[in-house]
Amino acid sequence: MKIAIISDIHSNLEALHAVLRKIEKEKVEAVVNLGDIVGYNASPDECITEIRRCATISVSGNHDAAVYDLASRESFNVFANMAIRWTQSKLSEQNAEYLKNLPFFTILWDRFIACHGTLKSNDSYIVKPFQARRMFNAMRRDYKSIRICFFGHTHRQAVWVRDVRGKVQQLNPHETTLILDPEKMYLINPGSVGQPRQNDWRASFIIFEPDETKITFHLVPYDLYKAQQKILKSGLPSFLAERLAEGV
Amino acid sequence: MKDVAKEGKLKNGTKVTLRPMVKEDADALVNFFKSLPDELLLFVRHNVRDESIVRSWAANLDYQRVFPLLALVENKIVADVTLHRVPFGWKRHLGKVRIVVSPEYQKLGLATLMLNEIVDLASEFGLEKLWAEVPLDSRGAISAFKNAGFSCKAVIEDLIKDKEGRNADILIMICDVSAHYDR
Repeated sequence: MKIAIISDIHSNLEALHAVLRKIEKEKVEAVVNLGDIVGYNASPDECITEIRRCATISVSGNHDAAVYDLASRESFNVFANMAIRWTQSKLSEQNAEYLKNLPFFTILWDRFIACHGTLKSNDSYIVKPFQARRMFNAMRRDYKSIRICFFGHTHRQAVWVRDVRGKVQQLNPHETTLILDPEKMYLINPGSVGQPRQNDWRASFIIFEPDETKITFHLVPYDLYKAQQKILKSGLPSFLAERLAEGV
Repeated sequence: MKDVAKEGKLKNGTKVTLRPMVKEDADALVNFFKSLPDELLLFVRHNVRDESIVRSWAANLDYQRVFPLLALVENKIVADVTLHRVPFGWKRHLGKVRIVVSPEYQKLGLATLMLNEIVDLASEFGLEKLWAEVPLDSRGAISAFKNAGFSCKAVIEDLIKDKEGRNADILIMICDVSAHYDR
């Protein structure tokens, strides 16, 4: 069995299409989306439609929630705030409703967790050892049989591992295949499809093979120029187009 | 870019709009700097009473180099914070922050509001640390920077001069932008 894990599409249809083409070649049986379909870029409605068509499971990201939760967008900076207001005006009724009904997190096949930020919040980050440790502790407390959690939100590929003695460390995953140790616990971030922030502009995702406990990280080139032109034509801030090229 | 705006509320209930500066702000910015007292302009690096300087900033905006965020009350600029970036080299992950708040809007939480926004934006820009230089006797400014996550790192004695030519101490304050992720 092969599962594609994608996250943080952020309305970048060109990046999403490039990733889906690659996923199709991999012949996966499921596509899991870890949230933030919308925000920042210029094709929110088209991306939701595409995700509704192809994703087996989706969870809600903080930008997805901000479309209908006006209070949550107050914490957004001026660019993110403007982009989400613009996004709201572009969504069809059905697609807006779809975002509203997405779960906060979900358990996949009784064996894995899928969330956007953490189990407690779709706007919490896992970028530091204490945050990874906190997440592992929550899993050990509330989901004793689950050893793997997929998360997004940071826009960076990451693998955090906890060994049987409780040592927590981060591995460097760039374009590598990783065989997971069944005795260890893992927090795995596929990076961002539509707005990577790891100084590499390519769209990022992973293929997970649960039977072999194998993870493969992928970085896919896409039509960056087209995505940027759409942003500029839509009246969104030019910074949002420039940052795509920089991968920040 | 005028659509890229956020509303904020000051301690006295006044509503302010925060947004990036655009070239159409030239006149308002000239008036803002004209309205500031001399002692406040001492901390500004340029002669902002010279209209041509301010107008050239507005005409040559480059957010990659300097990102100016304005606070407006009823279309009047009441504060200006700038984030200065170096695109290459060993300081490419750093941003330098400067802020000027109109005296009538000081002590109302405006500086804290704007600095928190700049810290948030610095994270969006991929910066890791922010740097600010504050005169050691500017209690209000130090407090505002602390409220936005800056901490005091060094005091350099007698580094700057006041308008009477007396030397004064400067405080270096640093903000670890990655603290943005501590939630």
